[in-house]
Amino acid sequence: MRLNTLLAATAAAAIMAGAAHAENLKIGASLPITGGLSVSGEKHRRGYELCTKLINDAGGILGRQVELVVSDNRSDTATAINQYERFINVDKVEVVYGTFSSRLTFPVASILSKYNMVHAIPSGGALRIYEQGYKNLFYFQVNAAEYTGKDVAAVIKQLIPAGETPKSVAVVSADDFFANAIEAGLLGQKVKDPATDKEIADLAPGYLSDAGIEVLMQEKWPEEGFNDWLNLANSIKRSGAEMVIGLTASAEEAVQLTRSLKTVGATPKLVYLSQGAQTEFVEGVGKEAADGVLIHTTWHKDVPFESTLAGKPFNNADFVKAFTAEYDVEPDEDSAIPFAVCQGIEQAILGAGTTDNAKMGEWLHARTKDDPVRTVLGRFSWDEVGLPVEKSHIMTQWQDGSLTFVYPTGEFEGVSPFRYPKNGF
Amino acid sequence: MAEILQILILGLALGGVIALMGSGLSLVFGVMRIVNLAHPALIIGGAYITYLAFKTFDIDPIAMLPVAAVAMAAVGVVLYRLLFQREAKSAKYSEMTVLLTFALAMMVEGLLGGLFTNTQRVTSPDYATAAFFIGDVFIPKGQLYAGLVSLAIIAALSLFLKYSRLGYAIRATTQNREAAELLGVNVQFISVLAFAIGIGLAGAAGSLVSFVFSFFPAKHWEWIAMLMSVVVLGGMGSILGTVVGALILSVVAAFVGTWIGATWSTLTFFLALFIILLVRPQGLFGEKPEMA
Repeated sequence: MRLNTLLAATAAAAIMAGAAHAENLKIGASLPITGGLSVSGEKHRRGYELCTKLINDAGGILGRQVELVVSDNRSDTATAINQYERFINVDKVEVVYGTFSSRLTFPVASILSKYNMVHAIPSGGALRIYEQGYKNLFYFQVNAAEYTGKDVAAVIKQLIPAGETPKSVAVVSADDFFANAIEAGLLGQKVKDPATDKEIADLAPGYLSDAGIEVLMQEKWPEEGFNDWLNLANSIKRSGAEMVIGLTASAEEAVQLTRSLKTVGATPKLVYLSQGAQTEFVEGVGKEAADGVLIHTTWHKDVPFESTLAGKPFNNADFVKAFTAEYDVEPDEDSAIPFAVCQGIEQAILGAGTTDNAKMGEWLHARTKDDPVRTVLGRFSWDEVGLPVEKSHIMTQWQDGSLTFVYPTGEFEGVSPFRYPKNGF
Repeated sequence: MAEILQILILGLALGGVIALMGSGLSLVFGVMRIVNLAHPALIIGGAYITYLAFKTFDIDPIAMLPVAAVAMAAVGVVLYRLLFQREAKSAKYSEMTVLLTFALAMMVEGLLGGLFTNTQRVTSPDYATAAFFIGDVFIPKGQLYAGLVSLAIIAALSLFLKYSRLGYAIRATTQNREAAELLGVNVQFISVLAFAIGIGLAGAAGSLVSFVFSFFPAKHWEWIAMLMSVVVLGGMGSILGTVVGALILSVVAAFVGTWIGATWSTLTFFLALFIILLVRPQGLFGEKPEMA
């Protein structure tokens, strides 16, 4: 009798647990937790996980607890595609979060489009992702990577006295989706769809030409396995360029390049890197070498962005506090961006009142400047291809070991004076 | 002329470090026919030991080299006993070790990621980003020191292999495992010892790598092809060959990177691998493989 009771109780508990489990809102995210992109992939996971935890602590979304399913795609494109297929067809997730990097996002976009999923993209800025005709893409950074140079040029034109601006530049970059996209805008190249060779955009004459800066050297290093940084830095030094643009695809490359420029004794007046806003950058290169390095970013811990989470006000400072409490380290943009994606998805579900991706997509597309999605990266509304409208990069500069923001100058409080020229490394 | 000299210096300095990175791989293959794809992952293990000591106690990476080498050698003993010993008499041993060490590499990467996160790290002693400037030419101190220490370790290893009794035994086992056993060599012990030395060399290389390159757990995938190219060029199992291979390829890659383009410098290693396998599969200093 007692055994029967025990069995019945166990069965009942299992059924109840199953029922409760079925009510969870499953969200899938394929991330490069290992492999070449793992540094940023791991930080993305933290951003998604913290956001999910805070939402669940506040009661979930539409009364349902969120169950985050994260898979490691090992920085591999085919694996990322397979995992999103599996999320949708096997795990039966209702919603997905995007992956990290343009390289992985580009093919994943077609898979998610096939299933009419809302594709909230944390990191995938190459213009050609958005020119494939998919309707539910929403990019959670500033603009396509090709247009990043606009803000670099704005810093040069607006923050450096006329006559003192650099006259020449060495542009070195990773042979990578993201870095190539920024380079295209800086140098005024044509952007083409590699599959069809169709021209997507003609960016001539380019932001550097616009700013009156002559390109003295242009060089690429392979996407993976490059070790000869000193030789590259020596070539940069020998070019005599007054400005160095390093379109690094990862913080690690930014560290390698900067250390090498220091070793060879290069003395450019200005250094701009596309990565390096992470704390590991200053740890890797040292305060002196980092000082004056300009980096574009989407997020900064001191920018007073106001947002909402679980229907309540949740500003950028709250995010920094919660992240630091959870992980015992301050966040950087690699965690803030996925956090914003999670906020955007939550607001879309609440706004649409359902996890029906078509209705979520409609709701997101209906956002405007006055009625935006509010995240720790600021306000978002998107154009028809999914690129954010009216957003500028935050241009940051390492000063005395701290990452300060120096541009835009009139938008927020707390902008630091721009330091120029850079006095060696 | 100064430019050529500069490229030569940078190539040789880098080659010295790569030689040490590859020498353990070569030794382990030479003695035990283990193609250790996990070797670079274990180098990263040594780099993390060094990083921790540098970060926590400000201990110089070169001073930490013996500690990292001994610690990783101990890891090598455990790994050999656990994974390789029982399969040592298998007819398909070398082939099996490829798969086994591939899995090991992924496990080491996962373990390091769990322990240290996937954030990239680098140690920064003052000399890591300093250089001697002589006229128009500079010699990077970090790579110079790393290269010299590498070559000193390899020279010591070569002397040990050539003149010590254990060295004789290791070389005898390398040349003919069965014959060595018949002559009274404890092949089992020698195998453990050689594997431990090989992984110890990975630990030592990790200390030097920690200030020459930045690293994170997944970085090893970028190194394995480069190291295999170096070892194959030199001749699998030949320490001298590994040194020569590393210096040649690093210098050629430096010239290619400067004169043709940085994108092509990495290709130098793969191209060399193809050519050597087609033209001289035993490498520069390896023995010609017996035909089945």
